[in-house]
Amino acid sequence: MIKYLATASLLLAGAYLSSGQAIAADPGITDSEILIGDVEPLTGPPALLGVAASLGHKIAIAEANAAGGINGRKIKYVLEDDGYVTARTIQDARKIIDVDKVFAMLGMSGSGQSIAVMPVLEKAGIPTVIDVAPVKFLWEPPRKNVFVVGQSYEEGIMHLVTYLADKNPGKKWGLMTQDDDYGITVRDGFDAIVKARKLNVVYSGNYKKGQQDFSSDMLQLKESGAEVFLAGGIIGENVAMMKELEKLGIKPVVGIFWPGRIEPVLKLMGPAGDGIFAVDYVEPFAGPAGKAFLEKAKGLLPETEMRGINRYTMTGYAAAKVLIAAIGRCGKEPTWACTIGELEKTRNVETGVMAPVSFGPGVRFSNQKLQIMQAEFSTLSFKPVN
Amino acid sequence: MRSGDFKETYGELVALTDSRPVQAWSLALVAALVVAPYLLNSYALSFLTIILITAVGALGLNILTGYTGLISLGHVGFLVTGAYAYAVTVSKYGMPPVVGFLAAGIVPGLASLVVGAPSLRLKGLYLAITTLAFSFIINSVILEARPLTNGARGISVQRPEIFGVSFDSDAAFTHLCLGFAIATLFATLNIRRSRVGRAFVAIRDNDTAARVMGINLHAYKLFAFVTSAFITGIAGALYGIYLSFVSVEGFPFLLSIEALAILIVGGLGSALGAVLGTILIVLLPEATRLLLSLFSSQMDSLFSTGAQELKSMLYGLVIILFLRFQPRGLVGAWHDIRRLWVNWPLRY
Amino acid sequence: MLYLVQLLISGLAVGAIYGLIAMGFAVIYKSTGLVNFAQGEMTMITAYIAWTISTTVSGNVFVVAIGALLAAILLGLVIERLVMRPMLGEPVFATVMVTIGLAVILRSSINFIWDAYPHGLDLGVGRGILHLGGIGVRTGQIAVIAALLLLLAAVWGFFRYSKFGIAMRAVAADDRTALLMGISATRVHAIAWAASSVIAGIAGVFFAISYDLSPAMFQLGLKAFPATILGGLDAVLGSGLGGLLIGITENLAGGYLGSGMKEIAGFVMIIVVLMIRPFGIFGERDIERV
Repeated sequence: MIKYLATASLLLAGAYLSSGQAIAADPGITDSEILIGDVEPLTGPPALLGVAASLGHKIAIAEANAAGGINGRKIKYVLEDDGYVTARTIQDARKIIDVDKVFAMLGMSGSGQSIAVMPVLEKAGIPTVIDVAPVKFLWEPPRKNVFVVGQSYEEGIMHLVTYLADKNPGKKWGLMTQDDDYGITVRDGFDAIVKARKLNVVYSGNYKKGQQDFSSDMLQLKESGAEVFLAGGIIGENVAMMKELEKLGIKPVVGIFWPGRIEPVLKLMGPAGDGIFAVDYVEPFAGPAGKAFLEKAKGLLPETEMRGINRYTMTGYAAAKVLIAAIGRCGKEPTWACTIGELEKTRNVETGVMAPVSFGPGVRFSNQKLQIMQAEFSTLSFKPVN
Repeated sequence: MRSGDFKETYGELVALTDSRPVQAWSLALVAALVVAPYLLNSYALSFLTIILITAVGALGLNILTGYTGLISLGHVGFLVTGAYAYAVTVSKYGMPPVVGFLAAGIVPGLASLVVGAPSLRLKGLYLAITTLAFSFIINSVILEARPLTNGARGISVQRPEIFGVSFDSDAAFTHLCLGFAIATLFATLNIRRSRVGRAFVAIRDNDTAARVMGINLHAYKLFAFVTSAFITGIAGALYGIYLSFVSVEGFPFLLSIEALAILIVGGLGSALGAVLGTILIVLLPEATRLLLSLFSSQMDSLFSTGAQELKSMLYGLVIILFLRFQPRGLVGAWHDIRRLWVNWPLRY
Repeated sequence: MLYLVQLLISGLAVGAIYGLIAMGFAVIYKSTGLVNFAQGEMTMITAYIAWTISTTVSGNVFVVAIGALLAAILLGLVIERLVMRPMLGEPVFATVMVTIGLAVILRSSINFIWDAYPHGLDLGVGRGILHLGGIGVRTGQIAVIAALLLLLAAVWGFFRYSKFGIAMRAVAADDRTALLMGISATRVHAIAWAASSVIAGIAGVFFAISYDLSPAMFQLGLKAFPATILGGLDAVLGSGLGGLLIGITENLAGGYLGSGMKEIAGFVMIIVVLMIRPFGIFGERDIERV
């Protein structure tokens, strides 16, 4: 009996060892594959953000695989849906790390979700590149294995408000923000410039998430006489605000922020949205870099997926490219330590959709360059402003 | 069918169960749950933790809706109040976690008096919508009370350290939740067997008749609110610790509906129903995901944007089909199985 | 003064949408004794179907209107037959939970069949802006208020004078006796669901014209609940008026007290009203026998 047991276990061990499971020091690598994981909201209204980001990752991964993968290994993308619910983000992250055993992470859903999942990522020590919702908490204090590609919300707002203040000196200002952590970052950025430039703020409104009717708020804005307006809504809210302003017959100079800088918004706003300003750190689709990106995507994605592309696809693409490049530089047997080291050494990596990406020792934030854009209703696009 | 089991002392009369097998199996279950955190991987452990926390919340709602028959659509308001009470006392003012947990129970309890008082005259859906209204008002109050609650910024929460024992590791935190869940279960079962519990059920069955029998409706309804809010508040504190971050965002209205779903799918009016319902509803998304992953190769090639929504649709479909075929919920199914087991091969 | 009038008109417009959805709730409750948690989702689906018709078949207002009407009737009948009919006689809680399950399915089907992006419903009408004496109003807003008033009158007449309306009231009062009187309860239920779906669909289409079409539209159902409660669950007219009241209160609170108060103003009002009249302003007191 014992003889049989011994033989059986030896055979099993042999089978296991020879099955191609590389006995790598770190999980997620076999002889033929590298696993990269991601958690995004793929269902419900936030899906337009999550699906777009995942498309960006897929484009970069497909591009790398078509060129032979990373040093001969094909990349496999493991994607989970958290439905924008924080508890599920934590659970899915744990699943991807402990059960699917991926080599690296991208993504990571919205700002609240990525903040909540930080302890899990830090504890695991897995190399992570975040591209969807860059908020200061993610890189201040810098965490060894978490890298953020993008620009902080506060910085973005400050850039936009500074531009508008320069172009509209001495005018009265209005601000509308959402009452959640996203709105707070918008407000913080705004207040910083208000203080520095001593702007005259005549209207400051706060709406609860989910509000769809802005008639009374825009009426108050009209009564206050504001001439420059920072609309801190996301998508539906900005559209409603602009249409209310159109109905009330006033046309202040309007600035919006990048979470709502998607082309369908212009279609919805109609002529009321012509000429509004926006700030972003990715290239506009109407420009040459944007057009080239779309061409590349067309070749790598099925037709039905193309309509899901928006600016989040670009941020996802850039982050994935940076991660793939770093793993590639680690040669034949990448490890977590090597990948983190290579990510740190990232200098001026070209992604084609934003300014070159760099990190550094103790620097986990790529601090992307911002540009101002203006909406053009006739072409339903955002044109760079210079 | 057992016969000849005579109760000879008051202690035996009042005991939860006198059956040796039931006691043995219960102890085995508790032992398994105590050992489980060391055997399960981190993903399965997170499910266990969520089940335990949700069970505490569901038992809380069960006291109000299951026992007393007062439908509450706004229970997430007590959940978030408990979470904030814990976060403010422990993270902001640095008090020991035990005080935090007490506050997490007492503050929602007081809030529930405010909610319960106008609701005393209301019935059915009117009561449900009033509680819904209160949960939105509580959210607004929390967002406006910036000096105390940090407004929309939220408060970050650490794992607690009680009497020198650190609950920082996942296994230890699960043990803490297990402790709370067992305590809550015992509390609920005891309330049910007591005078108070009988009054609650009388109010549920026919409150005018209860009034005629001398039960002070207002007092007992308010007591139901307070007890329910106390327990739910503690569940909220545990949930906040699990997320390590307390904010209004992390407690969406969806949780209220989910809690109601748990009770109804489990079987309204019983603590066992609340626990079984919790297990089913928490594990259902995972089950649908596993089901869909069987077709994963087709899914990958299909890869349409909306394919993920199939999971949610399956979730809704399972709930509908389950209630269609077993409207008395999981408890009803359990009773059917038990009856079958006892009586087979006879029908009755 | 102009400020107040502008607020009132905007409040009436948005309140009319709430009122229409609330009427849908009340119709179902009145005829079947059930609360339909899927009302917001039914609104959303009909609006999306109208959008699909307008983009694929024809953008003509009448074509889309007729198409959406037929789709709404079909939706209501299908839901009643497939989902609610089997639950006849089961405990009320289980049936209400089924509507919640239905709501989940309908909500996810939007992302599945359509997509997560917001769209505009462009029918060529309703976007124009009228300036009456210094106040800006969209033609769509006037249309929805008119639609609500028309529907209120129609429903009142229907329940009072038509044979079927009286049959519905009979089923609501006591369905066993109604059965004894020869009224088909299942037919009444089917018509109730279809009617509720049509009313909700009208609300959805108007909302899509005035605002936009997005997967988050189901939140309207949540807003309409207080309107139904305010008016009284079994008072269809009351629910419509309750919607108008909530819309006005919201806008007045937003205009005079600040945007933070806007969302909860409606809720605070219904709590106050319910303390005085526990069954809503127009609702009837439930007589319980012991």
